[in-house]
Amino acid sequence: MKQKTAIQEFLKGLWDENPVLVSLLGLCPTLAVTVSAINGLAMGLAATFVLLCSAFLVSLLRKVIPNQVRIAAYIVIIATFVTIADRFLAAFTPDISKALGPFIPLIIVNCIILGRMEAFASKNGIGRSLLDALGMGAGFTLTLLVLSSIREILGSGTWFGLQLMWPFYAAWKVMVLPPGAFLTLGCMIAAANWINTRRRS
Amino acid sequence: MTEEKRSPQSGGETRPAEDPGKTAPAPAAETEKPKKNLRSRLFRSERMTIVEPAPHAKGKNSVPRIMYTVILALLPAVVLSLFLFGTRAMITIMVAVFAAMVAEYASNRIMKSTVSVDDGSAILTGLLLALTLPPGFPIAGTALGAVVAIVFGKQVFGGLGANIFNPALIGRAFLQASFPVKITTWSMPAFAAKGVYFDMATKNAVDGISGATPLGLLKFEHIGTQLKPLLFGNIGGCIGETSAIALLIGGILLLILKYADWRIPLSYIGTVFVFSGALWLINPELYPNPLFMVLSGGLILGAFFMATDMVTSPVTPLGTWIYGIGMGIVLVIIRIWGGLPEGVMYSILFMNGLVPLLNRWTRPKYFGEIQEEKKK
Amino acid sequence: MSNTPKIIIVLTLITLISGAVLALLDSYTRPKIDNYRKIQENQAIAEVLPENDRINEVAKDGYVFYEAYRKHELVGVAFQVSGGGYQSELVLMLGLSPDFSRIIGLKILSQVETPGLGTKIEKDESNKEDPGWFINQFKDLRTLPSISYVKNASPSRDTEIQAISGATVSSKAIVDILNTHIKKAKAARGIE
Repeated sequence: MKQKTAIQEFLKGLWDENPVLVSLLGLCPTLAVTVSAINGLAMGLAATFVLLCSAFLVSLLRKVIPNQVRIAAYIVIIATFVTIADRFLAAFTPDISKALGPFIPLIIVNCIILGRMEAFASKNGIGRSLLDALGMGAGFTLTLLVLSSIREILGSGTWFGLQLMWPFYAAWKVMVLPPGAFLTLGCMIAAANWINTRRRS
Repeated sequence: MTEEKRSPQSGGETRPAEDPGKTAPAPAAETEKPKKNLRSRLFRSERMTIVEPAPHAKGKNSVPRIMYTVILALLPAVVLSLFLFGTRAMITIMVAVFAAMVAEYASNRIMKSTVSVDDGSAILTGLLLALTLPPGFPIAGTALGAVVAIVFGKQVFGGLGANIFNPALIGRAFLQASFPVKITTWSMPAFAAKGVYFDMATKNAVDGISGATPLGLLKFEHIGTQLKPLLFGNIGGCIGETSAIALLIGGILLLILKYADWRIPLSYIGTVFVFSGALWLINPELYPNPLFMVLSGGLILGAFFMATDMVTSPVTPLGTWIYGIGMGIVLVIIRIWGGLPEGVMYSILFMNGLVPLLNRWTRPKYFGEIQEEKKK
Repeated sequence: MSNTPKIIIVLTLITLISGAVLALLDSYTRPKIDNYRKIQENQAIAEVLPENDRINEVAKDGYVFYEAYRKHELVGVAFQVSGGGYQSELVLMLGLSPDFSRIIGLKILSQVETPGLGTKIEKDESNKEDPGWFINQFKDLRTLPSISYVKNASPSRDTEIQAISGATVSSKAIVDILNTHIKKAKAARGIE
């Protein structure tokens, strides 16, 4: 296989291998926390932070960690960074931490992170691993931001807490409830597939 | 969904249905039936006919024919609702039907499929949706519900015949979750407030503009409603669910024409009656009269016009019984122990989801299959 | 296997380092997190028992009572109660007069009820002048013999509140939680 250039390594996470829209990974936080744009952004950034730090360490230690216990080692590394992110959010942005609830600790079992460690960081050098993690994190964050923006605008009439819709707009409450998450994500995946099909032909 | 009737030339004599052969179920094909005992009447379908070689005569039934007949069957309830709720009901119905047709046309164009606006299914979906909304529901909300019903209830699955859930109820569920306040703001019929039409619906709590549904009154305030207003429609509620008699006229027409499987309303309403009747016998103070349970809310509308949707109901008779009984149980549980006063919509949607499984579990054995199994 | 010692050493090292990092982090963030929690709690207590100059914490029978004093006189008792709402757990901070016969204030600490209906227990956006009308009804409400609710009418007795129309279940849940916990807490404090 031809080696990708550095910029390609970064860009693939944004669209071609977008973790949510193409790989359908990490759907649990994607569906659960995206009731408002700020939540989506915070979740995306927290996951990106964990992804970057873990990718760095895993890639650094890839020759040291014995093959038999690599998953266990990855989980400990990921869990450490997740706990760091969780504590920091709780200490400095308590409101966001409260809104995201158990989903920050649950980043530990987010398939995107473990998947990238196993599939990429454990086989590539530090530079590439960081680029890959950054791309995946950016793709995840952007997708969450779009999804949560749609849900917040339609479901509450606001965006990042700012009144966006006209004053007598009757908010579609369903959009901030779980069914709204499934509907919006379904539409986004459909749109992504549609665009890809058109690009290919 | 074009159905083939057995032609006189090819059919010759009808063989008894006990020998179903390897047939795909052709809905509602009418055949000369030999004498049947009770068991075969209940569990063997008249839909199961025998595969015959060509030529076949084409039956008169078609999608538009069925759809427009169902719309016709709904007319008594529609006319009565116009009489009861006046222009508000008319506007809601017109907006819903129009929006459904526009959504259908737009989806057809975007998906590059055959334009299916004229087959009547979008009109029926819009009409059914309107009948499940309270009169005076905002126009924009009604239109949104109709668009969701057509696009997310039907077209995303691939159009008519491919949908899992009843499209009108998907639209209604979306509106229920989106605008929980507006969709439970009931108005009493215009005449009820003045006390002109028959007698007053409820002894208490008629305050002219906004009223409560009989089920809501019962659940939250423990006020019962007499049965006569329930029959004639002089109660608060959705546009199409107020009068049991008007709905029954259309419903029975559908049963006679076999556009609706008689097992579904019978098992659905029967289960509600038996289950709530048993509870009522245990404690009449706490649980409502079973007749009240059957006549109030959207049960009759749902049982005759929504649960019987050919696309989203099981094809085998045994499956149909399980489907109907399941809906009845879910409905009584929601109404009596659930947080909502009414559960027809969720009971139908819930069992819709199980239909593919029911079809698989109750698939009839083809000739010789049982012996093969025994050999193993 | 030949590399068993390596496995043990590597995993031990990773976990040790991770533990050390987290311990350091915890010592740094815990005060901040506790501080925030304390502020929240104090705010809630101040809201339900406005007139006090000293708060005394007493834990008894599963309750933590915050006794509010003014000039060495007990003026009120606050404690946290919770129970099931329509679709979520309702957590309330309740402030009572010392003999538990009167509610001084009530605050909702957390609730995830149906948006637009059940959420009116905390904030009713349809009522522009007084969004907190429902929860404010509990101010100065008598608790004996028990709190009750009425629908679509103004309360006629001093133990009654008006339920939110369309959210009777949430309204009823609060009344039920209060009645049960006031009774239990009374027993815990030994008030007749």
